[in-house]
Amino acid sequence: MRRAWIVVWKDVLSERRSKESLNALVFFALLLLFVFQFALGPDRARVETALPGLLWIAFILAGLLAFGRTFLVERENDCWEGLVLAPGDRSAIYLGKLAGNMLLMALVEAALLVLFALFFSLDFTGALPALALVLALGTFGLVAVGTLFGALTAQLRARELLFPVLLLPAVVPVLLGAVTATQTVLAGQPLAGASSWLTLLAAADVVYLVVGLLTFEFVLEG
Amino acid sequence: MPDNWSYVFAAYGLAAVVLLAYWRRLAARTRDLAGQAARKRP
Amino acid sequence: MAVRVLGWLAVLALLAGLVAGFGYAPREAVQGNVQRIMYLHVPAVLTAYLAFGLVFVGSLGYLLTRRPGWDRLALAAAEPGVIFTGITIASGSIWGKPTWGTWWTWDARLTSTAVLFLVYVGYLLLRGMIDEPDRRARAAAVVGILGAANIPIVHFSVKWWRALHQPSTILGPEPSPIAAPIALALFVNWVAFTLLLFYLLAKRTEIARLEDMYAG
Repeated sequence: MRRAWIVVWKDVLSERRSKESLNALVFFALLLLFVFQFALGPDRARVETALPGLLWIAFILAGLLAFGRTFLVERENDCWEGLVLAPGDRSAIYLGKLAGNMLLMALVEAALLVLFALFFSLDFTGALPALALVLALGTFGLVAVGTLFGALTAQLRARELLFPVLLLPAVVPVLLGAVTATQTVLAGQPLAGASSWLTLLAAADVVYLVVGLLTFEFVLEG
Repeated sequence: MPDNWSYVFAAYGLAAVVLLAYWRRLAARTRDLAGQAARKRP
Repeated sequence: MAVRVLGWLAVLALLAGLVAGFGYAPREAVQGNVQRIMYLHVPAVLTAYLAFGLVFVGSLGYLLTRRPGWDRLALAAAEPGVIFTGITIASGSIWGKPTWGTWWTWDARLTSTAVLFLVYVGYLLLRGMIDEPDRRARAAAVVGILGAANIPIVHFSVKWWRALHQPSTILGPEPSPIAAPIALALFVNWVAFTLLLFYLLAKRTEIARLEDMYAG
């Protein structure tokens, strides 16, 4: 368990110093906002109707960029063998990377909510606690699978192609559940209305986490 | 509702073509490998 | 030798299936003869599920034992799995055109099957990109295991999503209730497809085994 914290702390520290990932991802989020606006046209009602879906498209696209790079730092700096040869439970590395990615996504998503509120004159404050729960459950699913597949594709020449190809079909349930629940929350309806979806999301999260914990050591060999 | 036999034949025909094509690929590769085995045997 | 017998058995069963589907089963009252596509569509999706179950077994087997035979099983099952899934989608779509009026609807089964198709095409693409046998087997196994674990989750999420946007239509892919001759025709075709799957598995694993032998 301590090893997981070490991994998270290492990533957080190196990120705080360079800030490269977070800055680029937030900027990417801003660009997406513009793309959405231009793609949907000036009618504000259209954007509002599509908002839950737009939010999650943005989160997934940011995630694709963020998780694909999860192990890039280790690859580029020849630290991969260090990870592989380190003694002890490899699933601790998975947990550490997962936690680090969750933190990164939390920051990006918060920034994205602020940007959406600004540019589309939206008010999330009423829905915020419920929205935070939905975002947490959905993002966890994305991160659990994304970290696993990110490590898997890190060793491949065609990683930029294969990573989205593998990730997107796998997170379809997360997308469906999260968008529906987000819609419920943003419409001002009580969260209990989406309770079955939240249960599904939670169950999916557990399944993805367990598979990740059990199989990560096999990904990390060689 | 009218019978739409053309759709039925289209569906079955497509399935048959795809499965046959896959089977033929498998048969061809088996033959190639058997040929390789024969050449490596002496 | 046994494989050849299996092959002929599969052919016989498929012919029997055609007879059952076109000769024995009656013309359906509401949809007419276009309903006979179901004798292809339903057995195909069942066989695909069996194939992907075998991919899971092979993936698990390899990770636990590291014996290449398990990985060969996973590969040999994934290819026909994708093919049968494709047949399911195509036949479902072709059936949908005259009955629902469009080539595609985001119907629960079509959508889940399409997602399944995407997952395992990705699996095959991944396999194609790694040359080293052990790394390829391990990577594929992880994707295979997650893919299989995801199947029920995808099924429910798509079903609930579909229920949100449209109440279930009366004109479902299977008539309800299922009359005995229709059930028999479905059963015969399902057996035939399963035999075909095992035949293809036998041939494909043999090819993989020989290729491994000559590569090393």
